[in-house]
Amino acid sequence: MTRLLKLAVTSVLALVVLALPAFAQGTGMIFVSNEKSHEIVVLSPEHEIIKRIETSQRPRDMHFNADRTLLFVACGDDDVIDVIDMATLEVVDSIPTGPSPEVFAFSPDESLIYVSNEENSTLEVLERETGITVADIPTGAEPEGVILTPDGSVAYVTSEVADMIHVVDTSANVVTKNILVGTRPRRFIMAPDESEIWVSAELSSEIYVIDMETNEVSDVLEFLPPGFRPEDVTPVGMAITADGSKVLISLGRANHIAVVDRVSRETLSYVLVGSRAWSVALNRDETIAIVANGLSDDITVVDMESMRPVESIPVGRVPHTVLIDD
Amino acid sequence: MRALLFVIILVFGGSVTAAAATDLPIGFLALEDDPRYDADMAYARIQLRPTGDAAEGAAMALADMKIVTDAVGLTPQLSIVRAPDSDGLAAAAQEMVAAGTNFIVADLPAAELAALSESLTGQPVTLMNATAQDNALRGMCAENMLHVAASDRMLADALTQYLRLRNWTRILMLTGKDERDPIFAAAFRESAERLRLTIVAEREFDLSTNPELRDQNNIQLLTAGTSEYDVVFIADAVGEFGRYVEYQTSLPRPVIGNAGLTPLEWHWSLERYGAPQVNSRFESASDGGRRMGWQDWSAWTATRAVITAYAKSGSTEYADVLAYLTSDRLRLDGSKGQTQSFRPWDHQMRQPILLTTDNAIIGVAPFEGFLHETNTLDTLGSDEREFVCD
Repeated sequence: MTRLLKLAVTSVLALVVLALPAFAQGTGMIFVSNEKSHEIVVLSPEHEIIKRIETSQRPRDMHFNADRTLLFVACGDDDVIDVIDMATLEVVDSIPTGPSPEVFAFSPDESLIYVSNEENSTLEVLERETGITVADIPTGAEPEGVILTPDGSVAYVTSEVADMIHVVDTSANVVTKNILVGTRPRRFIMAPDESEIWVSAELSSEIYVIDMETNEVSDVLEFLPPGFRPEDVTPVGMAITADGSKVLISLGRANHIAVVDRVSRETLSYVLVGSRAWSVALNRDETIAIVANGLSDDITVVDMESMRPVESIPVGRVPHTVLIDD
Repeated sequence: MRALLFVIILVFGGSVTAAAATDLPIGFLALEDDPRYDADMAYARIQLRPTGDAAEGAAMALADMKIVTDAVGLTPQLSIVRAPDSDGLAAAAQEMVAAGTNFIVADLPAAELAALSESLTGQPVTLMNATAQDNALRGMCAENMLHVAASDRMLADALTQYLRLRNWTRILMLTGKDERDPIFAAAFRESAERLRLTIVAEREFDLSTNPELRDQNNIQLLTAGTSEYDVVFIADAVGEFGRYVEYQTSLPRPVIGNAGLTPLEWHWSLERYGAPQVNSRFESASDGGRRMGWQDWSAWTATRAVITAYAKSGSTEYADVLAYLTSDRLRLDGSKGQTQSFRPWDHQMRQPILLTTDNAIIGVAPFEGFLHETNTLDTLGSDEREFVCD
């Protein structure tokens, strides 16, 4: 798409968005990105598949904008972030990125996108409206997880090969600190009180807790569901409740999620889900969690009150990320 | 004799952090004209073997780890030396040790590596065996060797697990006359015994067209006149015979071993576990943009293991670094989906093994259902209870 055309589309879209401000909020729809079938699967609140949105190649991480009128999805093999209009459920724009975008985060005002480019080992800072690259911050090889503080002043990014967390000062776009963690660090969650971030270290089967005051490792947590070996536990995706009291952690090849009391660090429950549990999302009232299972090509719905899996739904090849619009 | 043809020093210095940078010399030793990389074995430019330089894998490890070594104040220096024979290798290694090198990545055949290990006994240096798969090197129980290359037995176990899984239990074995062939065949035989597979016949093949050796050089004759078999296993390190066996067997059966379905430490077609990123970094960095072979992966992994041990042990003392490297804290990622560490009994690195064709990964061993009391990776290779030093 040419830049002019893109601007035109964006402008038209802005008008549409202005005209229909509340259309896409709280629809209860579930969005799942499928890495290998190049689509976003849309499920109704009743968990019926209602649409498959064709995207650029290899869609992975997804985020809504704040008013949930747009859905952004990083497409690793086409080097773009696709923009989906939530009203029409069609791809309306593609923002070019560096090679192999994997995970991204917005600045608080959503003017900037911070995206990890897995192939050339940078955290790229993009202007959302223009697609212009503002900065390319070198990271360790294979950067993945990205998270920003709510004021946008600090970004954290993992490097899977260097076993490191890079702390980035976003005013200068420089790395100010490197924190050595376990093997193959993947994703983040942040406590709502901004006291700590948690990092999943997939291959050393650990969660690293980093004190945001000092940016030092304050705790290392390990998990072992019954009947599994430590090496089966490969944590990746996480979700945290709005009050920050509980963390849900997908345990990869151990085919479970762990539900953890954040303050005491105690495991409250292990819930059996599908094969290679990869990412996990909570709905707004935190009654259900939905887990994407990368090796069984399905999602599992977990009832949070009983801590039981209640439904598994086949979605397509290699589901990566789940988002719920409610 | 000290005939070192050339010495390359690669320095990845870069920005020095607040911590005072400490030099970290790492050696890389290879044989000049190593026959294992000889491109001239077959005519018509048929590539039978890797012809690239595994040192490129080691260099990539320095680049990959630069951000870590910068952060902890280390400056790795890779010194790549090739020597024509065992005396030259020993002299080169002595020079490295004198310069403070504690770890040397060895891209050497088994005989040269065994001699080098003996010549360095008692010195503060560990050889990281990147490319010699011979079981006998593990049986030496040398204190100064760590084996990153998979052993023949691990490769054989990956194959036999797959045969068990498919219930292909009857095997015709073909073995060549290269010195490596009976060694790999013996490892396969032991492995087949452990999984109670039946070897219906073992035959030696010959590369000639000599009519007197027709029963050894004619593939149809070589694979006929036996009781029923499910697969043909071939031990053929040279590869010139093996590439003709598929589709010419007397019975229509798959071929495994050094031809057909081949067990390897690494293959460019692995799509999961971050492997595509490793492959594309290697293709960008390597001479001529070649694909990463198992030898390159092995040199990359060996070098990363050493640098990781320095960074994570928080020490530059040889004893501390070695203790970390050989402990279960290592948990090294090899982009094959499982963490790797060294077995205390035979100094062999645990790792998954890929079963490969020309352009696909058919499976990754250990396979589901092959269980072990402590670590399923230990279903590949000599386990603690059966291992004895020679």
